[in-house]
Amino acid sequence: MTAVDSPTTRPQAAGGVTVQKPAAQRPSRRRRHDALVPWLLTLPTLLVLALLLGRPLYRMIVLSFQNMRLRELLTGVAPPWVGFEQYQKALTDSTFWGVVGRTAAFTVVSVTVSVLAGLAVALLMRRVHRRVRLAMMIAMMFVWALPQLVAAQAFVWLTDSDFGVLNYLIDKIPGVDYANHSWFVNPWQGWTLITVLVVWAGIPFLAISLSAGLTQVPKELLEAATVDGATAWQALRNITLPILKPLLTIVTTLSVIWNFGLFTQVWVFRSGHPEPYFQTLATYSYTQAFGQSRYSYGSAIAVITVLLMLGVMVFYIRQMFKIGEVD
Amino acid sequence: MAARQDDGVLTVGRSRIGTIFANTGGVLFALVMIFPVYWVLNTAFKPRDEVMSFEPYFLPAHPTLDNFVSAIKAENFLSGLVNGLIITGLAVAAALVVGFLAALAIARFNFYGRRAIIMIILCVQLVPLLALLIPLFLMLQGWELTNSLIGVALVYLVLLLPYTVWTLRGFIAGIPKELDEAAMIDGCTRPQVFWRIILPLTGPGLVATAVYGFIQAWNEFIIINTLNSPAKQNLMAWLLQNQTERGTAWGPLMAGAIITSLPVVIFFLLIQRNIATGLTAGAVKG
Amino acid sequence: MKRKIAVAAALAATLLGTAACGSNSDDKGTASTDTKVDGTGKTIKVWLMVDAQTSWKNVVDDATKRFTAATGAQVNVEYQQWANHLTKLDATLAGSDVPDVVELGNTEFSKYVFNGGFAEVNKSDFENSDTWLSGLSGACELDGKTYCVPYYAGARVLIYRTDLFKAAGITAAPKTYDEFLADAEKLQTGAKGNSKFGSFYMPGQYWYAAMSFVKSTGGDIAKKDGDKWVGQLSQPASQQGLQRWVDAVKKYSKADVTKNENDQAGIFSQGQAGMFYGNAWEQGVAEEVRKDPNDPNSPLVPTKVKGKLAAAPLPEIPSFLGGSNLGVTQKSANKELAAQWIKAFTDSTSMAGLVKANALPNASSLMDKAAADNPTIAPAALAAKQSWFPPNAEKWADVEKGNVLQTMLTDVLTGKKSVADATKWADDQINTTLNES
Repeated sequence: MTAVDSPTTRPQAAGGVTVQKPAAQRPSRRRRHDALVPWLLTLPTLLVLALLLGRPLYRMIVLSFQNMRLRELLTGVAPPWVGFEQYQKALTDSTFWGVVGRTAAFTVVSVTVSVLAGLAVALLMRRVHRRVRLAMMIAMMFVWALPQLVAAQAFVWLTDSDFGVLNYLIDKIPGVDYANHSWFVNPWQGWTLITVLVVWAGIPFLAISLSAGLTQVPKELLEAATVDGATAWQALRNITLPILKPLLTIVTTLSVIWNFGLFTQVWVFRSGHPEPYFQTLATYSYTQAFGQSRYSYGSAIAVITVLLMLGVMVFYIRQMFKIGEVD
Repeated sequence: MAARQDDGVLTVGRSRIGTIFANTGGVLFALVMIFPVYWVLNTAFKPRDEVMSFEPYFLPAHPTLDNFVSAIKAENFLSGLVNGLIITGLAVAAALVVGFLAALAIARFNFYGRRAIIMIILCVQLVPLLALLIPLFLMLQGWELTNSLIGVALVYLVLLLPYTVWTLRGFIAGIPKELDEAAMIDGCTRPQVFWRIILPLTGPGLVATAVYGFIQAWNEFIIINTLNSPAKQNLMAWLLQNQTERGTAWGPLMAGAIITSLPVVIFFLLIQRNIATGLTAGAVKG
Repeated sequence: MKRKIAVAAALAATLLGTAACGSNSDDKGTASTDTKVDGTGKTIKVWLMVDAQTSWKNVVDDATKRFTAATGAQVNVEYQQWANHLTKLDATLAGSDVPDVVELGNTEFSKYVFNGGFAEVNKSDFENSDTWLSGLSGACELDGKTYCVPYYAGARVLIYRTDLFKAAGITAAPKTYDEFLADAEKLQTGAKGNSKFGSFYMPGQYWYAAMSFVKSTGGDIAKKDGDKWVGQLSQPASQQGLQRWVDAVKKYSKADVTKNENDQAGIFSQGQAGMFYGNAWEQGVAEEVRKDPNDPNSPLVPTKVKGKLAAAPLPEIPSFLGGSNLGVTQKSANKELAAQWIKAFTDSTSMAGLVKANALPNASSLMDKAAADNPTIAPAALAAKQSWFPPNAEKWADVEKGNVLQTMLTDVLTGKKSVADATKWADDQINTTLNES
């Protein structure tokens, strides 16, 4: 589903790429040719993006400076230009900031838990028997292969207040009455459930990429450290983690970007009508546009979301350049 | 692959009890992870009264294939399957061809504007397509491509392309440049280097990229639901809509969900050996 | 001279086999059906909601057949799902290739009528239009003009377990609200020891039901004061009604307070509740299910409560009148044909077909006959006489979509807010939404 740039699977690549130098000794005709070729190669991609994405994107941005409501949408009357009004409205609205805060808090919690769990699983996979590791791999592959929508619907079914098996199982614990328990009465419980779903679905990617990364940690180094009396924790902190750091940075950034855009899970759990305290930036932008016919306001929120994520993206790009991957 | 050499258990300095703990933990983890999947399967094979039961059946008492038959026979299910395969196939193929060229340029050439292109490729992935629904709809309608598989395939191409370029770039960069240079010294032309060295060596990467691209396009439902009529939607949209007037029919829904997941499971099995390589190769979108 | 051209044009049109009058040559924008329209070679696009497909597809087919026989035009019916259907409608209506006829829920219509999405129709062209249910047609009227046509209605009734009633010594359906409460109490006592049993199944976000209770004590959701809408939920009468609902739910319902009523019949059919409040047709849904839920033609299978259900109006609680309307889109290129199709689909013949499928007809004049023809819907037909509908405000659908009432109800039931605080909050939301320009 996803992928990350990992220097760890190709340790030689990082060095290999930097060899690239303008070949001064080559004949100049070839050089001019060389300058043209990469552009020709990227041209189709740029064209596709410009044609198919550029125009709608431009329209969305323009839309965010207008005030398009249902009447303008239905009749084709040009919506009035309102400048930064939509942005001003969003940025001065406590509801909007509530949504931003909620989305950010969810992102921090879910990413922390997923990455830690992924790392723990990756480390565990190194210690267990081959067969156990295979079982773990198979379980994770199935979870990974489950489409987001299917996974969300499965969780809705598992946690159904009337027929859900989760309530049944919890109810079996002596002294706990969870029959007909509704998980979305209490926003904290609801969010816990959403987080569990996101973490559960995210672990396979994290654990499998991190365990691929762990194979790059020289075993001799770990063994030597143990012989020297280092505890497992010290070995992890001083040897494994530093080697894993670039990969960790990348998978964390990616998780942040994905979880920040949380939509499907909330949408399915709340059957298309998230209550105010279950709104995230993505669902909020969507319900403002299509539920409330505030198409321009929805666009403005989407633009703000992109800008916020660009901030995170900077980390990713800096990491990429730092490890020499793209230079 | 590196993972191969590491099949043995790391034993030095580890106690036996620790290993037992680890193995128990591993088994428990696998069980917890797989439980929802098991429950989907379990539900799909149950008759209705066992599904809608206050005392859950942990195994179907009377296993049945009715739910699968129901899903397959349901309106727009098979068409959804075929549509999904066509749209996804088109989008993935187009993304691979177009994306590979750009990946080649970024990975193998040092040219003016390269960094800018990288930035564009990465940042474009942050654009939420949901916010573009109406502009996209109007643009495609202008081209008479709403309610058509091609129109959706074009949108999915946009969805996949940046990711494809970025991932393939990683794979190509992983091929030692010395190989190219050696081949050029031997008299190969640039196109020959491409056909004889880069393309074959990127093979596994192409497969992995294709599979992840497939998953992304296969999983999308809101865009196709908005652009197309039910007969021209995919299975994901079908699943979203499968709330009948008589309440949610969980059995057939879960059966449909299993069939919907099958192509991805199959692809995962096909590339399982390359899965780690694939994953660790580079993109931003999930 | 002028006349000659007209004749020539008419001749040309006939020769070409396509009439010009069906297209948007219609300057007034009125979709009239009084002149016979030749639609040969044309196809109109109709968007109906999925209910028509699952419950009365034969009525659609029959109306279409009669329409085609009369006009020569073909019909392409596309069935939409309730989930996400407005998003799709918004995007589609923004474009140029639009459906000619669109079905929307009666509470969804106002917004589109106010904003010019639908063309005016000539009310008198449609059968029974002088007795249309005002709960449906209210959303169609704007400045004395009509922009949509009532299609079918549904009223909610009390559906109860006759066997449990008998066991508890109750002989008849409750006649007053107090009787209803007493019956609920008896059923609840009768099921002592079964912690899952709730005598009155009432999911917490079932706002149609809750608002019916608000109406029962003389309360209201919002009123128009001059040109401003004013939320009424925090008024004493409304709060009293809401409290009535809250008390009943807290005492007698075991339903999920964060669910809506969509799955209630299926849950009720598992036998863990004594009564529920639903559309007349939901009684059938609770008693029998399709063997194959995805196939409307598959045989019906009895559930645990088959033959043990009866329905009656919930005493003293006026019913929400739900239903759907049909409109001709303003951008339609075949307005007259579209109106003609609606005419066929809402005439007395079609209505008789809908009644057979357990829907209520669109006009009060048809109600008594409907009740006589189909005993299943008789209680609903009765309830429809005592019914209400939400404020006919342009932005009402935004209140619904904004989850205002649902959130208020859940907040009260979970004790997060008091009735006073929650209604105050809801009024604020309603005022802002309805009066927003």
